[in-house]
Amino acid sequence: MFRISLFEFRIYREIMLVENIKAEFNLYKNQAEKSDFFLKREQAFAEFEKVGFPTTKNEEWKYTNLKNITNQSFQSTCESTIETELMLSHAFLKDLTANKLVFVNGTFRSELSTIIETNESIVISTLAKAKTAHSELFNKHFGKYAPIEGQGLNAMNTALLSDGAFVYVPNKKTVTNPVIIVNIADSTDVNVLCQPRNLIIVEKSASLTLVETFYAVGNNPSFTNAVNEVYANENAHIEHYKIQNQEGESYHNNFTQIFQEANTNINHVTLTLSGALVRNNLHFFMNGQNCNSLLYGLYMPHGNELVDNHTRVDHAFPNCHSDELYKGIMMDKSVAVFNGKIMVHLDAQKTNAYQRNQNILLSNEATVNTKPQLEIFADDVKCTHGATIGQLDEEPMFYLRSRGIPGDVARKMLLNAFADDIAERIKIPELVELLEQEIEKKI
Amino acid sequence: MLSIKNLKAEIEGKKILNGLNLEVKAGEVHAIMGPNGAGKSTLSAVLAGRADYEVTEGTVDFDGKDLLELSPEDRAREGVFLAFQYPIEIPGVSNTNFLKTAINEKRKYQGLEPMEATDFLKMMREKMELVEMDKSLTSRSLNEGFSGGEKKRNEIFQMAMLEPKLGILDETDSGLDIDALRLVSEGVNKLRNKERSFIVITHYQRLLDYIVPDFVHVLYKGRIVKSGDASLAKELEEKGYDWIKQEVEANS
Ligand SMILES: Nc1ncnc2c1ncn2[C@@H]1O[C@H](COP(=O)(O)OP(=O)(O)O)[C@@H](O)[C@H]1O
Ligand SMILES: [Mg+2]
Repeated sequence: MFRISLFEFRIYREIMLVENIKAEFNLYKNQAEKSDFFLKREQAFAEFEKVGFPTTKNEEWKYTNLKNITNQSFQSTCESTIETELMLSHAFLKDLTANKLVFVNGTFRSELSTIIETNESIVISTLAKAKTAHSELFNKHFGKYAPIEGQGLNAMNTALLSDGAFVYVPNKKTVTNPVIIVNIADSTDVNVLCQPRNLIIVEKSASLTLVETFYAVGNNPSFTNAVNEVYANENAHIEHYKIQNQEGESYHNNFTQIFQEANTNINHVTLTLSGALVRNNLHFFMNGQNCNSLLYGLYMPHGNELVDNHTRVDHAFPNCHSDELYKGIMMDKSVAVFNGKIMVHLDAQKTNAYQRNQNILLSNEATVNTKPQLEIFADDVKCTHGATIGQLDEEPMFYLRSRGIPGDVARKMLLNAFADDIAERIKIPELVELLEQEIEKKI
Repeated sequence: MLSIKNLKAEIEGKKILNGLNLEVKAGEVHAIMGPNGAGKSTLSAVLAGRADYEVTEGTVDFDGKDLLELSPEDRAREGVFLAFQYPIEIPGVSNTNFLKTAINEKRKYQGLEPMEATDFLKMMREKMELVEMDKSLTSRSLNEGFSGGEKKRNEIFQMAMLEPKLGILDETDSGLDIDALRLVSEGVNKLRNKERSFIVITHYQRLLDYIVPDFVHVLYKGRIVKSGDASLAKELEEKGYDWIKQEVEANS
């Protein structure tokens, strides 16, 4: 941690986080052995130094200003001092039978984690361990899907990642219970920076249910900068759920690249319940025919929260299908950004790609910026997109009230109905239940 | 039970009800007929409390309460039920959950405990039989993908579940084939009793062969211009509305 006088603080305000990152990397550099992994990180660091943090001048970041993050100092290897029980009391899905990997401030906590999978060919571990224990797989896949060129935040994660999950499902194997990655940012003592990095490899005809959850405890700011690389080999099936519930001054940037070989089936749902600033970058790349990619999201920001979902689906081969639906319930002065890019490459004939973004404004002061982006280079395709922003409809409201249901109850019923389109994409009943409770609580 | 006096209502500055009077006593069935655009649906919407309409004059007394002062939900919980001319679809709200909520909200209003789940299901089963509602419909979203006839039957089913004091049926017969019409009418007839009243709005006499009214009124240009017994409906069926229109013009 730096100690600087108030005067200096003013001068360095603009470059606080950058300075942290540079200092931290120099520290790491002096200790690290000069492995391939190190070279990758050094390269990433050079890229980070070159491009830095995205600013609103960048078209992709027009509505999402990171200055509240980059103007502050964050510390990345800090211990958590609060009691584990208190900490875990915030966690969702506590009672779900699952494989659990718990990370607190980016550090793996084995005493809080449980692996119940009995099939020994399936690996549910950490990135730090996999680097040596499964070096071949690690080297084959790590850093191959999430690009760092021009991507300051990805480069920063690669240069200084803390730890993360490593999951490997061999051919034809099914992980019986979900794998839950619990990420907790504990900012009780200091401003904390967490940079989780997950590598998920699902081989041919294998299947996996993956859940990522994010929480924050403590009153200081926290910044989570996560990168996920998910590789789905032919015929693989992945259910992927991301639940973001970081209250308080929590900032969150997330880059997820899902790389799909032929005949793969991916169902992804992002639930953004809370977070001062949440930016999700969700990218799918279809690297073979007959892929099915489903992208769903629900966000319900309140107060001054900002939720930004940037998605990109690359249809690079023929006969693939993608369906995308993001829904927002906007409260108070919250802001939402949706940018859905669908790229249909030249050879990707018979592509079916659908995209919708629907928003309900519960306040006059909430804002939604929505932009579908279809870039189609093939000629035999079916693509549709649409976006809506509006108030809760009067007609259904009146219908329910005319049956004796009071306005506030009717409103809840209709918002639940609105969210139902997303809830029904979730195949874990406990998670659906939880979502319903959260909606109840938030609205 | 219901006493409407000199009711005037407008929408977007357009006068639609122009001094309407109507008295409905407990247990009576009143039919309201009239040409398209006369204001029949407007009357039902004003009684149910739709906010789009502005009541500019007149009073509506419902069992000693000023109905116009009540919110739509309170009107319903006091016992007013409107079967809509065009019931809407509400995706994502299940029929069953909706009815359970409606019934329990009404009970709460009356100071009663929520209904036991088993009693509720038993009641559902009984009332569904009344209009021969298909069981699969109740587990679906409210009216979603229902045929026109199914929607109308669902309205009557809801009315049976909510047991109102006053049922207002707005062209429940429109869009129904003869079998569905008979079914819906029989359902309504079974709900008739000494306490419960109905206002049956219809464009055609056909429905009144099944639901025989105590009184028939003709609504024209926002006022009730003629009242009689069930035979008036037959007369309208034979002669149409033109003679009424002429009578009105002659008197004015
Ligand atoms: N929302 C509205 N906005 C403007 N005019 C309306 C609206 N609703 C009804 N009206 C007009 O009010 C008159 C009465 O309509 P309505 O009550 O539906 O008649 P009915 O049910 O007897 O056919 C018609 O002229 C109709 O066009
Ligand atoms: Mg009408």
